[in-house]
Amino acid sequence: MAANMRGLTQFIADIRGARVRELEEKRINKEMANIRKKFKDGNLDGYQKKKYVAKIIFTYILGYKVDIGHLEAVNLISSSKYSEKQIVCLSFTGDGNSLALVQGYLAVTLLMHENSDFLRLVVNSIRKDLDENNEVHNCLALHAIANVGSSEMAEALAEDVHRLLISPTSMTFVKKKAALTLLRLYRKRPEVIPAVEWALRLVSLMDDQDLGVVLCVTSLITALAQDHPDAFAVCYTKAVDRLHRIGIEHEYSGIYTYYKVPAPWLQVKLLRLLQYYPPTEDMTLKNVLNETLQTIMTSSAEPSRNVQHNNAQNAVLFEAISLAIHLDTRSPLVDTAAVLLARFISSKETNVRYLGLDTMAHLAARSETLDPLKKHQGTIILSLRDKDISVRRRALDLLYSMCDVDNSELIVGELLRYLKVADYVLREEMVLKIAILTEKYASSYKWYVDTILQLISAAGDHVGEEVWYRVVQIVTNTEDLQAYAARVVFEYLKTPSVHESLVKVGGYILGEYGHLIANEPGYSPIEQFQVLHSKSQFCVAPTRSILLSTYIKWVNVFPEIKPQLINIFERYRHVLDAELQQRACEYYALACLPDDNEMLQNVCEEMPPFPPRVSGLTSRLNRKMTDTEDKRTWIHGGREINLEQQQMTTLVRPKQAELPVNDSATASGTADSAVLNALAGLDLTVPSEAGESAPAPRLTVGPSIDKWYQKLTYSAEGVLYEDVQIQIGIKSRFQGYLGQLAIYFGNKVSAPLTSFTSTIYVSDSAALSATFAKIPANVLAPRTQSQQLLQVECKKVFTCPPILTVSFLAGAYQSISIRLPVIVTKFSEGVKFGQADFFERWKLIGGFPREAQVVFPISLDAAGHIDLPHNRRIVSGNHFEILDGIDPNPSNIVGAAVLHTSVEGKVGCLLRLEPNREAKLCRLTVRSTSEEVATAVQRLVETALRME
Amino acid sequence: MISAFFIFNQKGEVLISRLYRTDFKRSIADVFRIQVISNSDVRSPIITLGSTSFFHVRVNNLYVVAVTKTNANAALVFEYCYRLISIAKSYFGKVDEEAVKNNFVLIYELIDEINDFGYPQNSETDTLKSYITTESIMSSAYAAEESSKITTQATGATSWRRGEVKYKKNEAFVDVVETVNLSMSAKGTALRADVDGHIQMRAYLSGTPECKFGLNDKLVIDKNERGASDAVELDDCRFHQCVRLNEFDATRTISFIPPDGEFELMRYRCTSNVKLPLRIIPTVNEIGTTQVSYTVSVKGNFGTKLSATNVVLKIPTPLNTTTVDCKVASGKAKYVPAENIVVWKIPRIQGGQECTFTATADLTSTTVRQVWARPPIDVDFQVLMFTASGLIVRFLKVFEKNNYHSIKWVRYLTKASGSYQIRF
Repeated sequence: MAANMRGLTQFIADIRGARVRELEEKRINKEMANIRKKFKDGNLDGYQKKKYVAKIIFTYILGYKVDIGHLEAVNLISSSKYSEKQIVCLSFTGDGNSLALVQGYLAVTLLMHENSDFLRLVVNSIRKDLDENNEVHNCLALHAIANVGSSEMAEALAEDVHRLLISPTSMTFVKKKAALTLLRLYRKRPEVIPAVEWALRLVSLMDDQDLGVVLCVTSLITALAQDHPDAFAVCYTKAVDRLHRIGIEHEYSGIYTYYKVPAPWLQVKLLRLLQYYPPTEDMTLKNVLNETLQTIMTSSAEPSRNVQHNNAQNAVLFEAISLAIHLDTRSPLVDTAAVLLARFISSKETNVRYLGLDTMAHLAARSETLDPLKKHQGTIILSLRDKDISVRRRALDLLYSMCDVDNSELIVGELLRYLKVADYVLREEMVLKIAILTEKYASSYKWYVDTILQLISAAGDHVGEEVWYRVVQIVTNTEDLQAYAARVVFEYLKTPSVHESLVKVGGYILGEYGHLIANEPGYSPIEQFQVLHSKSQFCVAPTRSILLSTYIKWVNVFPEIKPQLINIFERYRHVLDAELQQRACEYYALACLPDDNEMLQNVCEEMPPFPPRVSGLTSRLNRKMTDTEDKRTWIHGGREINLEQQQMTTLVRPKQAELPVNDSATASGTADSAVLNALAGLDLTVPSEAGESAPAPRLTVGPSIDKWYQKLTYSAEGVLYEDVQIQIGIKSRFQGYLGQLAIYFGNKVSAPLTSFTSTIYVSDSAALSATFAKIPANVLAPRTQSQQLLQVECKKVFTCPPILTVSFLAGAYQSISIRLPVIVTKFSEGVKFGQADFFERWKLIGGFPREAQVVFPISLDAAGHIDLPHNRRIVSGNHFEILDGIDPNPSNIVGAAVLHTSVEGKVGCLLRLEPNREAKLCRLTVRSTSEEVATAVQRLVETALRME
Repeated sequence: MISAFFIFNQKGEVLISRLYRTDFKRSIADVFRIQVISNSDVRSPIITLGSTSFFHVRVNNLYVVAVTKTNANAALVFEYCYRLISIAKSYFGKVDEEAVKNNFVLIYELIDEINDFGYPQNSETDTLKSYITTESIMSSAYAAEESSKITTQATGATSWRRGEVKYKKNEAFVDVVETVNLSMSAKGTALRADVDGHIQMRAYLSGTPECKFGLNDKLVIDKNERGASDAVELDDCRFHQCVRLNEFDATRTISFIPPDGEFELMRYRCTSNVKLPLRIIPTVNEIGTTQVSYTVSVKGNFGTKLSATNVVLKIPTPLNTTTVDCKVASGKAKYVPAENIVVWKIPRIQGGQECTFTATADLTSTTVRQVWARPPIDVDFQVLMFTASGLIVRFLKVFEKNNYHSIKWVRYLTKASGSYQIRF
């Protein structure tokens, strides 16, 4: 078919053959005129249309402007129908039809810009192709959407793409493309994707058989999870499970190994995804994760000779190290990582050195102890002289991060030495960093002043205003330092060439504290004046005005040089610069006042100390870091800064949730925190819980669900849930404050339930913890049962039972959320009392508020009697020891129990149940040493009794 | 001065390479190829990279390039390049890649002869032909004799003319050739109208003739001497080196001893009182977005005895034209889609005659509505025995000590090619 397009072949040959550009243009003009004529005439068959559109595309690819043929391209897309009619007579049309389609799409993706009006025409054709069963057409449509990716398309088609992604009948490659298309649309228009709504369904795709699909879906989820961490929280387990299966169980097909590394891209993506979540609390997950990371690290310990193998291995390894650091800096894994990193930073390969330093900076930013890093300080300092600038930059960042009180002098000294030879692009940042480190870790003020002045004199132009402001602030606020500072500054000013910033510092400090050293030899007022004034002619107007202020201060403290100073004011009164002139005039008038006037003295009072203020330097540094696409999980600098940053993000997060969340929100987020940093003097650290708790899953409702649940509250085993596809059963055992639930999932259909996920939601994790013993398998074979062990621990009294959410794919996506029969009384244990004992305690506890009482109607059994055995079953099912013979009325029940909690200890609990047959009422009284327990137990028993 | 000289072909391959000085290596040719030939953005004939300047002239898809490191006189360098081209033309006719390849020995000979250590030397074709020949080698005795003459001639008073020239029939042909440049606004006012003229002379005269040349009576040469309003004003006159300039300055007479054969006696430019030979009135209307209608009329604006020949009008069409339907009374009109124009060819227009062209162009719709730029109509033509500047040769007198009779022919030609443009 393609071979038959002779016109096209000829056209391309002609253009290729054109010797000069002008000839080429002529040929194209001619062809275009021809095509215009043909299109105008109309009546083209599919072949011709295709040929001409192909020519137009070729012309467009060559870089010529094309403004015709769009309509024809659009027509081509919908041509499949047309061609299908032809299929009977033309045997090759099946092929040709998709070719035409390819061309149509090619034309659309190439010729149309995002805002083209024609796109509206295309949307419907694309939707039709998405709906079709032909996966080739699906893919073409997906390509077109991803390439053009206009917002209009995103709005119209996101739903269809999503459907294609989750459809069980989609081929794997369609799924892959759909996932990536969705990612592209999300990046373009985040608001059109209902991420939260789709979250669970998307996450379930991470269990796909095909690693390629998993890779694509993980990319998508990584993007979405950054903005909606809570909605996608389930992916944590999935990611850990997948990593475990790849890394340890080697569950992957051979084609996914790349130079002996299994699915490196997927591993990297998963490891990265995990870093966007706070470290998990779940011990099982933690163990699995540690094991996996351990395996990755040990397997990468040996560098191979194959470059590609090394690359793949290192990619996974560095991500794994980052994750290990993110999870817990104290774990033995991090120690292993530190050893590995040490080897990397002295590697021969630039890339490895770079990554090594970067990851080490991460470690330094998070780690509590810097000791393992300090061993390699020499190597890192050497890296400052690396031949690659990006490596030098990383080394600088790392040194900045790993600086603390012990090594600050060494590091700052080294940085100062390096500053003189550093690249210009690095210098400004270096100056800032040195200034911050010097201030933060100054062991003595002398050292501080020495270093900073050395910095100013060495870096000169790269010193921002903030740096010298800060010096002045600190010197003013520290009285012991003033004389010393004045002396040192004076010495610096004596050198023949002095940078202007130093003149400013000198002017200020000598003006304020020059008199402190005036009596020492070599520092007399006239000498100070001469040295300072000799610099003034090289300075710009703002510096000179600072010097004028210095002089007026001197008029006050050094009357002996007053004539010289007045002379200078006199001269400056005629300067053209308005600011200087004004100052000179005012100071002149002030200086010429009679001696007995105290005006001058009052004006030139010594500066009061500055109010303590947070250094502006750090915020300046942070502002310089611009984050673009992927959010970073840490920033350079010490541990405190990172902790602070985390607080900031939790503060900012609720705001983000309200905003239409997109990537730019990241920028605004960091900008916000920068502002907050700058205002850090104010107390903004209000603890906020807003972002913390995830919304509770919505409970599944059904006629028998409540009944099943209630029954289980007072029995140890039974059915919790059942429908046509699945049955969930429970066996439970409680011992003190610990309990173990065996949950049985039974698949009742003849197809496997895939992507089987069960999660536990606990509303108050401080009171109750519930964890699965191991990560459940994600496939439930047909007509089988699987068991999962759930460990529960009662820490405090709680009221809400944990919620089990089970989701799986059985054709469609199903999700069931049900309460687990884990209630506070399950953790109690019956105790036996004699009558006297019981009443003594009963009285001891007393009435309200430690008593909870309720009267409620009851139903009688068939014979019209109180259903005593039933009541007894409920009370004992709630783990109360039934004490007979305490209450004279046999239908009354008296019980006692002790509740075990791991945090609050044991709580005693007494119960009386007094049914009344005539009134069909029942009174339930619970007394407990804890008010909460009393209320909670009373509610539980009451609900159980009422159910009948 | 010129340090290196190259000729490149279209693809940037070096055809001729000559280094006159040692301050460059041959690899400088690569610099030019990369920076100029393969860089389609460069349109300027002079490119200075660092302290190196490249001067280039394009002719028939060849690049003639001179390179210098010093602050050379750019006009001189270009003149040198053009002179080389004209010498090459007179030696082997056409200057193109093939001719250069076939004659590369000759070209090396020539560029060595007309340039010494970067300084241009005698580049008179006539003189060069006397000792750089393309014919078979003459006997060495004759060659020696010839070469001694060369010395005297090259150093004598009239270096451009050999001593003993003999013709049976003494003839002199004078061709006045003028090229009209016009750019006319849509309202019919001339935005720019000027004439580039040159007087080409072919002298086949025996001995050492002394010629005197007279132009119009009311001739104003140089702007500062304002003449009557109908006078012919010439700017920027430039003469062949044989013309005695001091005599011209004193008495305004053009007297000279002509070189033998063909030479360019004079070059001039005229910017005022330009007589436009063809009057063109275009009416172009865009009807909606789908059609453009044209009515273009051409009128011969000269004496009825004269005629314009080879008149070609290139009338632009919009870029999205599909078809053009043309109607013409005389000549032929055809739509050329390759250049987006309609070409209307008229073989002959008599003075005072008027021809009309009407057409409608159909347009196709486009995605992005672009305003048509309306490029100008381009007219090419030739008119014999007519000068747009009004210049007339009054006399040409030949004095020779033999006092022979000589025949003088004068011919006028006004033409335009690619620079006679009318906007609409």
